[in-house]
Amino acid sequence: MGKIKILLTYLTAFLLILTLCFILPKMMAGDPLMALYGDEALVVMTPQLQAELIERFALNKTLFEQFVAFWGALAHGDLGESYAYNAPVAEVIVKALPWTLLLVGSAFIISALFGILLGIESGSRRGGRLDRSLLTCLMLLNGFPDFVMGILLLLLFGVLLAIFPLAGAVTPYSGETGFSLVIDILHHLALPLGTFILVRIPGIYLLTRNSMVMQMEESYIMTARAKGCSECKVRYHHSARNSLLPVLTLIGTQMASIITGALFVERVFSYPGLGNLLYESLLNRDYPMIQGILLMMTLMVLVINLLVDLLYTRFDPRVAHA
Amino acid sequence: MHDNYKTLLKNNGMGRAGIGLILLVLLPALAAPLLSPYLPGEYSGSIFAPPSGSYWLGTNDVGQDIWTRLLYGARTSLLIGGGVALLATLTALVVGGSAALCGGLYDQVVMRFVDALLVLPAVLIAILASAYLVPGISLLIILLASLIWPQAARIFRARILSLKEEGYISAARTFGASETYLMVRHILPLLGPILSAVIVQHGRRAIFMEAGLSFLGVSDPTLISWGSMLQHALRYTYLDVWKWWMLPTGLLLSMTITGLALLGFALETISDPRLLPAGNR
Repeated sequence: MGKIKILLTYLTAFLLILTLCFILPKMMAGDPLMALYGDEALVVMTPQLQAELIERFALNKTLFEQFVAFWGALAHGDLGESYAYNAPVAEVIVKALPWTLLLVGSAFIISALFGILLGIESGSRRGGRLDRSLLTCLMLLNGFPDFVMGILLLLLFGVLLAIFPLAGAVTPYSGETGFSLVIDILHHLALPLGTFILVRIPGIYLLTRNSMVMQMEESYIMTARAKGCSECKVRYHHSARNSLLPVLTLIGTQMASIITGALFVERVFSYPGLGNLLYESLLNRDYPMIQGILLMMTLMVLVINLLVDLLYTRFDPRVAHA
Repeated sequence: MHDNYKTLLKNNGMGRAGIGLILLVLLPALAAPLLSPYLPGEYSGSIFAPPSGSYWLGTNDVGQDIWTRLLYGARTSLLIGGGVALLATLTALVVGGSAALCGGLYDQVVMRFVDALLVLPAVLIAILASAYLVPGISLLIILLASLIWPQAARIFRARILSLKEEGYISAARTFGASETYLMVRHILPLLGPILSAVIVQHGRRAIFMEAGLSFLGVSDPTLISWGSMLQHALRYTYLDVWKWWMLPTGLLLSMTITGLALLGFALETISDPRLLPAGNR
């Protein structure tokens, strides 16, 4: 795929998600304002406010003008008002974002690192004892949905052994600063992070292993062995370099699944990031908030995938001319 | 090329384990009314009753029998998994197959659209749509199927494109076989292994996504689902009920997904024998 093709694909995806955001509220029965703002909003709705909102969404105009108004607001970074939080949606999201980024970022780095290392070691010893046991263990782990793994860890380490906190990202009202604050944050991060690492390693591991298995049969490996390269060098310097190409494409999807996984894992541990915010908004039927969070996360996923795809054409020039 | 397909599956340890796990869930789900005297929505006992002779896994916060809800929850999961798997695979086959056979501008446009769908995160879209639509079983099947088919469409297109170039296909064409005849008689049978792998993987993703949506509470609240059982149970971690409420539900869900993943992996290995462990070739 050439660069233009890639950009075109992402542009289409971007337009699709925005159109969906516009159409879905229209598919709900009843008052369109209620669909856009949820039942809660109607309680606090004054006639003046109602007139203002109708004006803003151009609800008294044609569908096309509504569509234009919707895009206009988005272009200004205006995601709407949340009534449950009595604040602009964008503002609430920005407050929750750092916690999600901390969790997602560290989960991604650690699981990718372990997944790749285990995959290389396992794939280069295909059929050996290490390969068989790793494959079985990780295939079993692969079946656990993020939130089930989260619940299991919560029950084991939080409830049964009580060595990790059950909820939150910091101990409330402890007033800790400096080093002890960092320790407190890490202490709260341990279980959600552990959940991600256990659930996310198998995907990267399996692909690295399979790709490694195929590379180890290529004739350049035999050449490397014949000229006396050490096994370690053959593995990491020759075979792994080529095996990691397909793994690079997985990094985009992996990032996407960690970001979506955060929605579920944060809920399990009441971790105060976007996922927990989304759960509360779903309970409140706070539609502007739900849409804002999901749109924001989708954009994050799209941007990361776009970067990976563009990088890929650079690492593997064959793709650009295919 | 794949005539020893069934034998290969029988000899594949992962495949056997996967089928075993799936049967372990499927059979009780089919026999649900025989295995439990209650109905899943029935308020049959006192609340938070511990496991006993009449309530094998105790009762939940409103006095419904947990064992019964587990059984009927399996029905929901499997129904959604099966429905989505068939619908999504069929869509993928039609789209991918037609793109490969027609080629040209149609192929270009369709595959660009497929690529665009592929880069969108399916779970996020599913949550967004469910938040507005509050889907029941049938709407959920359509929604999930419409989100997960694109990847398979790419796989089918690639496979059909390479099969199209095989010598015996050109031979059949020289004998006057029509495109439809070629597709049905020559190409489809060879897609068998990859088709079954795709169906199983679709089922796995669907069950996974349904559980996730119900866990967030965005599917129809009357749906009896493992996901919503876990969501309810999570509110009572300070009580002992998690031992017979949360744990069996979570493990059963993971077991179903693991079973499908193992079977899917086995089928994929069979369709691409290079992945087999050295001894089994």
